[in-house]
Amino acid sequence: MSLLEVSDLHTHLNSGGKTVKAVDGVSFKIAKGETFCLVGESGSGKSICALSVMQLLPAGIASHPSGSIQFDWRNDAGSVEQVDLLSLAEPSMRKIRGARIAMIFQEPMTSLNPVFSIGEQIVEALQLHNTGLSDTEARQQAIEALEQVQIKSPESRIDDYPHMLSGGQRQRVMIAMALACKPDLLIADEPTTALDVTVQAEILELMRELQLDKGMALLFITHDFGVVAQMAHRVGVMQYGKLVEEGTTKEVLANPQHPYTQQLLASVPENLKRPDSVIAGSGSISNKPASEQYNSSGLDIDAVSPVSSDVAASLVEVRDLNVWFPIKKGLFRRVVDHVKAVDGIDLDIRKGSIMALVGESGCGKTTLGRAILQLEKPTSGSVKLTGQELTGLSAEALRPVRPRMQIAFQDPHSSLNPRLKVMTTLTEPMAAHGIGESREDRIERAAKVLEQVQLSADHLWRYPHEFSGGQRQRIGLARALVLNPEFIVCDEITSALDVSVQAEVLQLLLEIRQQRDLTLLFITHNIAVVEYLSDEVVVMKAGKIVEQGSTADVCQNPHQTYTKQLLDAVPRLNLSKIL
Amino acid sequence: MIEQTHIGESYTKQITRTAFSGWGARIGLFWVLVLAFFACFAPLLANSMPLLVSENGVVSAPIIRYLSTEDLVLMVVFIVGVLLWKLPIAFSTKLWILAAAVLISLVVGLTSLSPPKTIVYEQFRENIANGLYDWQVMPMIPFSPSDYLRDFSNTILQAPTFTGVAPHYMGTDSTGSDVASRMIHASRVALSIGFIATGISMVIGVIIGGQMGYFAGRFDMLGMRLVEIFEAIPVLFLILAFVAFFGRSIYIIMIIIGVTGWSGYARYVRAEFLKLRKQDYVQAAIASGLPLRSILFRHMLPNGIAPVLVVASFGVAAAILTEATLSFLGLGPVEAPSWGGMLNEAVKSSVFNWWMAAFPGGAIFLTVFSYNLMGEALRDAVDPQLARKAGVVS
Repeated sequence: MSLLEVSDLHTHLNSGGKTVKAVDGVSFKIAKGETFCLVGESGSGKSICALSVMQLLPAGIASHPSGSIQFDWRNDAGSVEQVDLLSLAEPSMRKIRGARIAMIFQEPMTSLNPVFSIGEQIVEALQLHNTGLSDTEARQQAIEALEQVQIKSPESRIDDYPHMLSGGQRQRVMIAMALACKPDLLIADEPTTALDVTVQAEILELMRELQLDKGMALLFITHDFGVVAQMAHRVGVMQYGKLVEEGTTKEVLANPQHPYTQQLLASVPENLKRPDSVIAGSGSISNKPASEQYNSSGLDIDAVSPVSSDVAASLVEVRDLNVWFPIKKGLFRRVVDHVKAVDGIDLDIRKGSIMALVGESGCGKTTLGRAILQLEKPTSGSVKLTGQELTGLSAEALRPVRPRMQIAFQDPHSSLNPRLKVMTTLTEPMAAHGIGESREDRIERAAKVLEQVQLSADHLWRYPHEFSGGQRQRIGLARALVLNPEFIVCDEITSALDVSVQAEVLQLLLEIRQQRDLTLLFITHNIAVVEYLSDEVVVMKAGKIVEQGSTADVCQNPHQTYTKQLLDAVPRLNLSKIL
Repeated sequence: MIEQTHIGESYTKQITRTAFSGWGARIGLFWVLVLAFFACFAPLLANSMPLLVSENGVVSAPIIRYLSTEDLVLMVVFIVGVLLWKLPIAFSTKLWILAAAVLISLVVGLTSLSPPKTIVYEQFRENIANGLYDWQVMPMIPFSPSDYLRDFSNTILQAPTFTGVAPHYMGTDSTGSDVASRMIHASRVALSIGFIATGISMVIGVIIGGQMGYFAGRFDMLGMRLVEIFEAIPVLFLILAFVAFFGRSIYIIMIIIGVTGWSGYARYVRAEFLKLRKQDYVQAAIASGLPLRSILFRHMLPNGIAPVLVVASFGVAAAILTEATLSFLGLGPVEAPSWGGMLNEAVKSSVFNWWMAAFPGGAIFLTVFSYNLMGEALRDAVDPQLARKAGVVS
């Protein structure tokens, strides 16, 4: 007997006179104690599906033309009664919501109310669904709930406010809150997407344990097949509001039937085939001296100091680099301490190699990338590009060096100027550095670069808001490429993208770097991407380098405990592990 | 969201389209355009001089002799503006054409137009009465704003009439001049004070605020103190003092409102620039080695200007109110009629003459209301989140 039975669910969203079929005829069942994973890319309707079950969609916008959601409601009297959540009256729905079906959300930073302590928030949920529960009893239960989610010394933490907790702890509190009323069904909407891998591993472990313990059903929504492999009993794959494939985890992952599922699984970085021709730092290094290359782009080379033979191998040389942000306190804004975002880093990036910079959020990897490009002023230390010292140069003196090193960003929505056409975005830097003889020539060059990133020349005349996320990332890459750089810092460029788009961008990046003999510093938190893409890996923690070496070495045979933790925490698509 | 129907549409166009799709903003824009029309063509709409006369078969336009350079420039600007409105050329080209038109009309006006110092308003009326002309075309309202104590309608303080040879649609005031005529001519003061004062404030505010936001640090600290100093100036009293010393000139009032009012704009621009400075596309512009000029004016200003324009539309309304207040207190400009001044006259009279208060008061209300409506719509278009939060269904 299934606990939840969704049959032929349609959810339509109406806004501005248009109707979007967000969920289009989805049917699935979840049995008691079972984990059902809904997988799909952004916009596939998986979250809307969950919100339909919870009846949390705004009534004015959402409508359900057909379908039913049957749920076994264990009501206050203890008897079980089957109800259709779609036609259930709001007062009864309110009794189910939170008590029988609980939900946890993606963003732990915003899903807790900052003005109440976590204890108060759990107690409120408890007393709402258990009338007659005294304050002391409720508090005792809240402490137990916190203990369940493995928060240390819950007696003292219960009076903490959300801002005193880390992201992982907050998500634990959210789970504690959801579980406090002992629900029959827990809906988790990408609960670990915003978390670091090590924290994600802990939370997933916790959820698995709690589920076994309580025997509750779990509807888990994710886009990550690694997580699916670890969590799910059964999987449903969604595309454009439809459930294209459904089955046990083993069936779906090992033997996908639907072409979309096959494509998705093939796009997972672990399954990507790396072009054989690209081999770590071997023959791909150009024999041309750096100065000659520089000349070919039509720039003045006098500013560049002669390249001595011993540093020719490394394009970028970082020595004892520090970027400290002062913490100011008191009336006179006295500097009391520093946040050491980058703390004494030494790094050599060999010409023609792809170096991956890995670390969890807040480890200083982005700051390091920006400090190398002199976008963030280093506190001390030295950064050399082919022997030329960059730190301490004025903005004016840096300008001729700028075209040689470029950056591509994470967020496709903020990385392009919304006011400028793609043409302007691409040709303006060329004009500023005297590349191309005329406007027409520059437009032609821009069109060529666009074709290189697999966009067409007529995209030049459009504005950024007319493109999808993946297309914008390509334009961002094109902007970096128009200046013929030798070195590009890629700051999490695929993190905001869906897995299939990510695969395309990664393949494109490898292709381009081969054509153009580029050196890349690839900043990411995704280990699978690192394994696919990079020649060398640098692992960072708290502003320092923990481990460094060739990708194969570090990933197969890590020496440091932190690296091991990091690697173990990655949810793998390892089929042998699946139940 | 990608809307297929608007491919190649710039952000600016998108904003204006959304802003003026609602009724409120359209009504506001309509009223301001009507006012602009009145302001630019005031001498042709309300004047004691005939537009065309035929004297013994010779046709002449006596009104031309009484046009000032100012009148000519305003008319040319309006006509060229309307002609350029729908032309499919770049916005900057349009601006250049407009500027050229202003310059040419200015030169023509200065060289060929010289309105007589003393104007005898009765002259043409007497000529008409004496049957000197074969025929004549009079303006819609055949009275100049300062055409007092007319010969054939000796009543002063007349309620609105719609009959007779030359009816006063909005009555006359205590000196006998036509209220409708004064209303039309006063729209010039109302519009120009709003635009020029706000324009001055915006230019100063954007320059100072932009630098504060971009350079931050010490410059920002000093700039903010300057902003605080300017915010502490009691503008109305400053204007009162200046007017007392230097005479009641509309230009002095404009400049003072402009020079003291920039602090709000500076704050907005600063906040926007502080935010934009960390945006990826600005970082990319710096990383591409673009010159500072381009970073500031191409990549930052157009993205940060929208909220400033919203404030500006409220600022125009505020400037109109300030001028009205001054005129009401009897310290407004003397050389031209203004709505505030007309309200003042209405109060002076011992009896309540509703037409003297209702029309200028209503005009002030409508104009300020229109600007606020447009500001509101613009703000919602710039920040659609806000409208959605407020539950506004567009």
